[in-house]
Amino acid sequence: MRKQERLTEYLDWPLFGALIVMLVMGLGTVYSVAFNEDAPSLFNFSEKYGRQLFWIIFSLFLGLLVFLIDSDIYRKFAIPIYLSTLVLLVIVLFMPPVHGARAWIGVGSFGVQPAEFAKISTSLLLAKYISGLTVKQQNTATVLTASSILLIPMVLILLQPDAGTFVVFTSFLFVMYREGLTFDPIILKFINSIPGVRYKETWVGSHFIPILFALVFLSVVTLLLDSVSFTISFFGMDFELSGSYGVIFGLLLLYFISWLLLQRFSTRRERSRMMVVLTLGLLISSAISFGVDTGFDKLRTHQKDRIELFLGLREDPNGDDYNRNRAMAAVGSGGFLGKGYREASVSSVRSNHVPESETDFIFCPFAEEWGFVGVVVLFILYFFILFRIIIIAERQRASFNRIYAYCVAMILFYHFAINIGMNIGFAPVIGIPLPFFSYGGSSMMSFSVMMFILLKLDAQRKEVLR
Amino acid sequence: MNLDARRNVIISFFILVIGIYLFKLFYMQVVDDTWTLRAQEIAEKRKEIFPPRGVIFDRNGKKIVTNQTYYNLMMVEDSIVDLDTAAFAILIGWTPLEVRNRFKEIVEGEGTYFNKITGKRTPNYQKIRAYPFLKELTLEEMSKIAPHLANFKGFYEEATSARNYPYKSAANILGYLSEVYREEIDVDRFYKPGNNIGRAGIERFYEKELRGIKGIKYIVTSALNNAIESYADGKYDTTARQAAPLKMGMDVELQTYGEELMNKKKGCIVAIEPSTGEIISMISAPSYDPNLLVGKRNISANYPKLARDPNLPLFPRPLQAEYPPGSIFKLVQSLIAMQEGVITANTGFPCDKSLVGCHNHPSARNIAEAIQYSCNPYYYMAVRRVIQQGVKKNNFADAEYGLSKWYKHIRSFGLGETFDTDVSGQRPGLIPNPAFYDKWYGHHAWAFSTIRSISIGQGEVKLTPLQMANIVAIIANKGWYYTPHFVRSIGSKGSLPQFKKKRWTMIDQRYFDPVIEGMRMVVNQDGGTGKQARMEDIIVCGKTGTVQNPHGEDHSVFFAFAPMDKPKIAIAVFVENAGWGGSWAAPIAQLMIEKYIKRKISDKDKEKRMKEAQIAYQNVY
Repeated sequence: MRKQERLTEYLDWPLFGALIVMLVMGLGTVYSVAFNEDAPSLFNFSEKYGRQLFWIIFSLFLGLLVFLIDSDIYRKFAIPIYLSTLVLLVIVLFMPPVHGARAWIGVGSFGVQPAEFAKISTSLLLAKYISGLTVKQQNTATVLTASSILLIPMVLILLQPDAGTFVVFTSFLFVMYREGLTFDPIILKFINSIPGVRYKETWVGSHFIPILFALVFLSVVTLLLDSVSFTISFFGMDFELSGSYGVIFGLLLLYFISWLLLQRFSTRRERSRMMVVLTLGLLISSAISFGVDTGFDKLRTHQKDRIELFLGLREDPNGDDYNRNRAMAAVGSGGFLGKGYREASVSSVRSNHVPESETDFIFCPFAEEWGFVGVVVLFILYFFILFRIIIIAERQRASFNRIYAYCVAMILFYHFAINIGMNIGFAPVIGIPLPFFSYGGSSMMSFSVMMFILLKLDAQRKEVLR
Repeated sequence: MNLDARRNVIISFFILVIGIYLFKLFYMQVVDDTWTLRAQEIAEKRKEIFPPRGVIFDRNGKKIVTNQTYYNLMMVEDSIVDLDTAAFAILIGWTPLEVRNRFKEIVEGEGTYFNKITGKRTPNYQKIRAYPFLKELTLEEMSKIAPHLANFKGFYEEATSARNYPYKSAANILGYLSEVYREEIDVDRFYKPGNNIGRAGIERFYEKELRGIKGIKYIVTSALNNAIESYADGKYDTTARQAAPLKMGMDVELQTYGEELMNKKKGCIVAIEPSTGEIISMISAPSYDPNLLVGKRNISANYPKLARDPNLPLFPRPLQAEYPPGSIFKLVQSLIAMQEGVITANTGFPCDKSLVGCHNHPSARNIAEAIQYSCNPYYYMAVRRVIQQGVKKNNFADAEYGLSKWYKHIRSFGLGETFDTDVSGQRPGLIPNPAFYDKWYGHHAWAFSTIRSISIGQGEVKLTPLQMANIVAIIANKGWYYTPHFVRSIGSKGSLPQFKKKRWTMIDQRYFDPVIEGMRMVVNQDGGTGKQARMEDIIVCGKTGTVQNPHGEDHSVFFAFAPMDKPKIAIAVFVENAGWGGSWAAPIAQLMIEKYIKRKISDKDKEKRMKEAQIAYQNVY
């Protein structure tokens, strides 16, 4: 009885509430997109919405189970959990392929994707490993060990192949960055091998991961926008510019906004230093964007083709770029207020213009039905969840809990950014679901378990001694 | 190192990405409508259903314009799979090059759409839409192609309707349809490229009344271009409705008969029902079968032939040929002279050939005889009294005063301007007024002697056959007329309001009786010039005319109405280069009157002679 009281007492209600809202919105969208007139009941389990409802209930039940288990076992059993996941990841490679990938274990519709659960087990092991380190122990060996915890499942996942989950695993690098586990020791080793140079740390080395990601993000966006052109009216004259100039224009805009924010929120001393960083950042990123653009133009045709193929960039809207084009048409046609619930004409499952519109492209029907307003609401909700997880992370006494919370936040953010990026032409089309939204049992279960482990860890945070 | 600050890096990263995404989404969803258009192109089909055009009936309820089913070979580029151009070309009997050119023609014919917000120019042509590749194929043509269409994905047949003219006559009245021009589409969004629009005649004037109401069906389509459901449960759908039929005042049998009589002759016949102003028939000879101009292929094959024909079949003679009216003008002059009080019904003038040439006849003792003899000196003197009334001292000023009065009278007959009617392509003719002569000779530099030739309908005066037929109708009505028009009723709504207004001339009714008596004598009295138009049991009132033609043989002209006491038909017949009025025009007029009133012809020999005669007509091979 006392135990029961404590369960609800220490549950983080804002996060849990936001989660439920998200699940309801997701279910509503699946219901709309996969609606079948012959079986309009939400509880019809032969339809996708019925099954999705089942998965939600089942996942919440799993969550309850997780909540009942003492959170201590995750730290204790992190290594066995991780290893068993690896075994599953190996076994899955011998399974018959579904849609060209050996990603499923199980029979028929009751299959699971080990890759989904690999995210949890990797998070747990990474949290366990990093939390056991002290600041002084951050050397080449520890960096490499932490990296291999990520790399082993990543390689196995790439063999399936599952590019989406592979990319999601790089989110753990941000967790390492947050914990100070950067690639600086390796870089220092190289730099200090030059005679006469003795650095204790480098700025680039410490911030290697965000810089790297900013570069990748910038390059991908530049390439994706390269084929698009837009027109700017300037004193009555129209300039038609290629999309890569749009990136530079966007960077300038960001610079300006940051400058305004700095004027408002920073002290004078900080300001001058930040301005230098900002200005340098602007110049370097513009140079990189420009460089990627011109460099790409200079590539040979077949190299270009390969990159374009990976990014899903093709001119022919019915050819290789089919999915992206259809998805963007669906999203773009939503307008400001949307077409209305169950009025998605492009992205409904029946019309089948947007493939996978109930799973990977679920953002399409949502954006088409609810328009920009709905999108803003969804984004606010996602940001709230992410922000809440960061708050939870930062209030943990145990670094294991904090690191795990960051893992969850980063994985969710990656899914959010890549999934929606696919729908608006900012990310290559790699199939990863929108957490708590997309139809699908595996992702629903794994995200729920992941989230409830976090909630449980948070609920028990006060029991942990520092 | 303080690692806690790094959470701000991560949060900034979240905000940055969300911000960029929202920015992009705002642009995509709210600002730029490219994607909206693309979505419509992908998923929505706005299917327009064009109803068959309204049919047209004649005055006796005979269907003169109907619709016939034709087939369009439709093309959806998006659905075309590995088109074997060569095989396809053979199937439709073209060369591969022609097939490719047709593709290009379809794409380019659609033009482009300019988006003002994004500054992008996008082609109107959409691969997912259906366009007619071949238009208006007959059932036989389509039945040869249709069985093989299964091999050519992306092509299918679609039934459409085109005009059909069972009587093969009245081409000059009915007009024809042809494809809309891009400019017409821009003005009136009713039309889509490839649609037909009335290009001439009734089809053009009553375009809006005939085209009906277009039905629109919104369909949501799947990726395979199959219709899934009607959009929003058909809330926005409308059904196509065929226009109500037009009822014309024309007698199609008489029209056809008239075209037969005018076979291998040039000229025209205009017949008006005096009591209503409805045009019973309007023959422009030579005529052609209106079915020759049905559909794009027929037009491109036949139109140039008709345009090149030296007999000018496309020239609408009743409306555009402006002749000096000749003797029929004497009827009007008689009326004006009496109305002005310068002569009475019993005024006589000697036939003084020193004034103006005339043929040999006794001097006219009254108006009726003047008309019967068509005496030129009589009208010289009568009209001089109208023009030179002696009101002003100055002879020139007097002529100006007189001509002004004359002008007002003559304008009240609806002359010198086009009728406000459903007959398109009229010419106004010419009625000179003082300003006209001032421009010609100078102010106060002309008098009756200068302009005397108008007294016998020669010189500057020019009228169209339609106007002349209307003069006959006015005389039959004794002083009033309804605007001559074709369409008696649009559905059940009746005719246009301007056709219901009775228009009075400035001539008193009583002055018409001597004129009509004169016309009766022209036909029915021995020695009358129009005895060829005489009938046993119907009193025909007529007037012959001979229109001087400086380019060759005179034109034979005859005007008549019948029966005398209750006129049912007023008719004007022109036969070009056929000599004097009594020779050809009068018998043709008589046959027309007999056909119209009695529906059968007593004198078959006369009919045969008229039908077979070839006058000034160049054979075209």
